[in-house]
Amino acid sequence: MESWKVGLLFSVTGVTSIIERSQLNGALLAIDQINAKGGVLGKPIEPVLYDPESVVRRYGELAETLIVEDKIGVIFGCYMSSSRKEVLPVVERRNALFFYPTLYEGFEYSPNVIYGGACPNQNSVPLANYLMNAYGKRIHFVGSDYIYPRESNRVMRNVLRQGGGEVTGEVYFDLGAQAHDFSAIIDEIMQVKPDAIFSTVVGQACIEFYRAYHAAGGNGRECPIASLTTNEGEIDAIGSEASAGHITAAPYFRSINSPANRRFLKAYEGKFGSTVDVTSCCEATYSQVHMFARALEETGEIDTESLREALLGASFDAPQGQIKIDPDNNHTYLQSRIAKVDDAGEFIIETKVRRAIKPDPYLVYPAIHDWSFRTLNVAGGGRRNE
Amino acid sequence: MSDPIHDLRDLHALVVHPRDRSADELMQQVNRIGCNFDHMWPVPKSLPEKFDLVFVDVTEQSAQKLKSFIGNNAKPPSVVAIIGYENPSVLDLIFEIGAHSVLMKPVRAAGVLSSMLMARRFQQEQLRFKKDLTKLREKLENVQKVNDAKFILMRHRGITERDAYDLIRKQAMAKRTTTTEIAQSIINAESILSNMGDS
Repeated sequence: MESWKVGLLFSVTGVTSIIERSQLNGALLAIDQINAKGGVLGKPIEPVLYDPESVVRRYGELAETLIVEDKIGVIFGCYMSSSRKEVLPVVERRNALFFYPTLYEGFEYSPNVIYGGACPNQNSVPLANYLMNAYGKRIHFVGSDYIYPRESNRVMRNVLRQGGGEVTGEVYFDLGAQAHDFSAIIDEIMQVKPDAIFSTVVGQACIEFYRAYHAAGGNGRECPIASLTTNEGEIDAIGSEASAGHITAAPYFRSINSPANRRFLKAYEGKFGSTVDVTSCCEATYSQVHMFARALEETGEIDTESLREALLGASFDAPQGQIKIDPDNNHTYLQSRIAKVDDAGEFIIETKVRRAIKPDPYLVYPAIHDWSFRTLNVAGGGRRNE
Repeated sequence: MSDPIHDLRDLHALVVHPRDRSADELMQQVNRIGCNFDHMWPVPKSLPEKFDLVFVDVTEQSAQKLKSFIGNNAKPPSVVAIIGYENPSVLDLIFEIGAHSVLMKPVRAAGVLSSMLMARRFQQEQLRFKKDLTKLREKLENVQKVNDAKFILMRHRGITERDAYDLIRKQAMAKRTTTTEIAQSIINAESILSNMGDS
């Protein structure tokens, strides 16, 4: 064998391609860096790419292709939960190792999956706290119609209720929703006048929604759209005018001012020409590829059992700060930050938790007053747009 | 009825299973779900009070032994049977011990949460139905008693059904007791009186 082959299953076309392309770039950058240092045990990592075109069924089929035809045992991929659910039975049946670098709704564990994104206890609770303190207790829910938004809203509703908050409305839209589809809900929001909007609208529809809100006179500085999924990629597509004032909670933002992040961004810019589409999911993918390479260095072979052994409990100095794979549940200890979009369209970090939060994927009702979710204000709000 | 999903992390679970891969998978998943749990093997004689839910390996166990283990408790636990074979005799066994849900060996993480919640929900419903049924039975008996007493009064006094009922109710109020009690007294008196005539 001349190289270590790994499969990459990210859509570069279709409704979730903005975010998945950034994940793909994160993976490719990490692979480049590893190969530039001589690969792993003298052999380079060779990515094998397929484009599922944002079609849910294709993820499962292509995972099968990667494993059976390309004889690949390690796959990075997926953004939406529905696509992960397609890949899951395939990797379990074939005993492959699957890295999922995306936040999701929790309530899953598979020995064949390493989960690199946040689950609700790592981002929803800090966000709910922040919104209620900074804006008020009346929150309107708008989401895409699939499992993640529904479960995410369930958690949010619960946390809000504990803090004396109120959900003023809840509505779901098709993934392919256009700007005009949102006009009725935006009218409703203008009438109800909530203190903030909690949006779990993802993909292209997210961009449509933010723009439609802005066009209808919605002002992020007064009643922001708060999200767990709206990343730098979406903000760039929405445009700085329509996105100013809106809030996102995530483990990573491009504007983090740390040596590790500066190195990461510099390398990213060197490879892709700009850093506009660097997102938390991109950073998670980047970190997962590096963690995989370190585990491979240790085991010397691509074998699910031994790689898993090496990965569980492993930590990594990621651009977001130190992260660690929790051996209890294959999820990842992550940082938690809340940032607001400034006039230039850059996320300015407002608060962060003191240390990485342990993932708790089976937490039914997160408690709002849990000490581990307490946030600190961040002086200076990180790096301004360079 | 309490909400099984809401109360999930307050559960005390017991895993009764030989220490093997299935048991490890199961306990790790129960730990991830966030419940307190203990492990015991072989099947103990009786179940300690604190457990709300029991996972029990029924492979090659006698129904009698399992029933006495599960059943000897004032507060019966929810029972998740772990089965190695899906043949009719094993299925018969899990019916006989009254399991509330089932996990198939080899146990994997997915499905454990659902089986726990199904067992909790099913058992709580069963308990509620049982309670409702007892209440309804009592109520029916009471109605029957009052009816009988009414007919006795109607016969003896030549009054209408409505008047007979009013009489019973007034007596109950005067004596600060229930209409059922009064009805029972009337029925008793009637039976004593009629027996006297016979002898």
